[in-house]
Amino acid sequence: MFIQLLVNGICSASLLAIAAIGFALVYNTTNYFHFAYGAIYTSAAYLIYWFYLILKLPLIISLLLTFLIVSLLSLSIEQIVYKPLEARYNSSVAILISSFGVYLFIINFIAMIAGNEVKILSPGIEKTFQFGSVIVTRIQLIGVFAFIIVLISYVLFLRTKSGLLLRGYSINPNLTIALGYNPHKIRYFIFIVSSILAAIASIISAFDVGFDPNIGSNVVLLSAVALIIGGVKIYESPILGAFIIGILQSIIIWQISARWVDTFVFLLLILFLLFKPTGILGKKLRVEEVR
Amino acid sequence: MNYLFHILIMIGIYSIFIQSLNIVMGYTGLVSLSQAAFYGIGAYATALLMINFNVNFFIAVLISIVITVLLSFIVSIPSLRLKGDYFILATLGFQIIIFSILYNWVELTRGPYGIPGIPSPQIANFNFDNPSKFLVLSTIFALLVNYILYLITSIKFGLILKSIREDEIVVSTFGKNTTRFKIISFSIGAGIAAIAGSLYATYVTYIDPTSFTLNESILLVTILSIGGSGNIIGPIVGTLILILLPEFLRFLEIPDSIAANIRIMLYALVLILILIYKPQGIAGEYEPE
Repeated sequence: MFIQLLVNGICSASLLAIAAIGFALVYNTTNYFHFAYGAIYTSAAYLIYWFYLILKLPLIISLLLTFLIVSLLSLSIEQIVYKPLEARYNSSVAILISSFGVYLFIINFIAMIAGNEVKILSPGIEKTFQFGSVIVTRIQLIGVFAFIIVLISYVLFLRTKSGLLLRGYSINPNLTIALGYNPHKIRYFIFIVSSILAAIASIISAFDVGFDPNIGSNVVLLSAVALIIGGVKIYESPILGAFIIGILQSIIIWQISARWVDTFVFLLLILFLLFKPTGILGKKLRVEEVR
Repeated sequence: MNYLFHILIMIGIYSIFIQSLNIVMGYTGLVSLSQAAFYGIGAYATALLMINFNVNFFIAVLISIVITVLLSFIVSIPSLRLKGDYFILATLGFQIIIFSILYNWVELTRGPYGIPGIPSPQIANFNFDNPSKFLVLSTIFALLVNYILYLITSIKFGLILKSIREDEIVVSTFGKNTTRFKIISFSIGAGIAAIAGSLYATYVTYIDPTSFTLNESILLVTILSIGGSGNIIGPIVGTLILILLPEFLRFLEIPDSIAANIRIMLYALVLILILIYKPQGIAGEYEPE
């Protein structure tokens, strides 16, 4: 029984890890608590629903169109809202508040058009595979597979020159600019990549369990928790955080009840803030370094 | 006439609720995402005390304030030692935990079924059981809370909070324990939110967890930023916008099914415009750095 729950936990952790990598890309690089990321996540599910199920386009074209639109959405949020605020304010508090505004706007726009009820992408029973006593569905395997591909390309990317530049920018943006690199390009890049990661996680999860307008907020919050648990400013940390959350979730479901999952996950967050605010992989920073 | 009373009562209750965030965000510069949780704790504590133990409303309010303030220390003491975003995250975590407890601890809170039949406030034999009588009560509470807030922010305490908001390191070089001031400010905010929650519970006589979600906390931050914070008048402007805009939309005859969404979209749009063009809000004093 526990092994089955653990496998389920790992499958959902894979999707969370994909989403959390995107959230962490933005947070680590710009210090924005990009809450509107949740709205991008939600939009992706509705877009694929619209293209694939309503317009009946082929899956691959629906996917590409969804990726294109979420990228444009993410870039417009950056250009229309964050950029003028970045120029005006020193701290990221205004950006956080504006991000709530963007989130509320997009979510309510979606709810107005598509309604609040839960929608399902794949009717019928999902194909399952049995390994010993453990059963996994095809879509869960796709999720794990997608995670492995994202993980490999992400880790490889972090070791290229661009990856190094990104990490340099996150530690000292002014120095990077002084060295002649264009900060706008870095920002465009992370906003596009993060939105596509959100879309990948969102689409797979929509095929798996369905969606409604509020799915995004839960994911962005769990991504933030994964980042804090793993350690802020470290690009690999949200993956570790996501798997800790996934395993914790399966233990809670096994021992207590699925109802109390949220309570314990956020209790874990508070415990980390209390005893190890730097996260598992985190280093201690000086006061001035914490922007 | 009852419709007008209802609007005025909601303005009274929400002005208290928004002031609870104002002291934390406007005066001390801390963005809190757990105000709806404190509001909820106040509402549930008062409702349960009145129903299960027959406690008088006014005593129940006092007990609710004490409970809420004590719970606020769980968030503030660990997280206020840390900087900025960590505090926001801790308040967010707390908000979700409280909502999930209200929703799942069915034995105590009846979970999603909510608590019906909350009695009206009573003094001696006088019952505040209809809108016109309740309006007197909510107005007295609103004036009192606004006045007390005005007093404590006019004395040195308020000045220290504002200085912490502007530059915490400078204040700490004057030998002030800034963390302690922030914790006190946060607990005042929690206590005020509990008062608003208690009034809300006894006014609508039925509460369920959906009134105390994270979205409610986010909406409060939005409205306060639009109205403006860091003085007494900004939050009042915010309250008026919050309560009167839906009524205005009703006169425009926008269908009910989308009116709620349009309302939030308008708030969100105004919020973003305000942040870009008028950081202190319509009538506020505090500008985020």
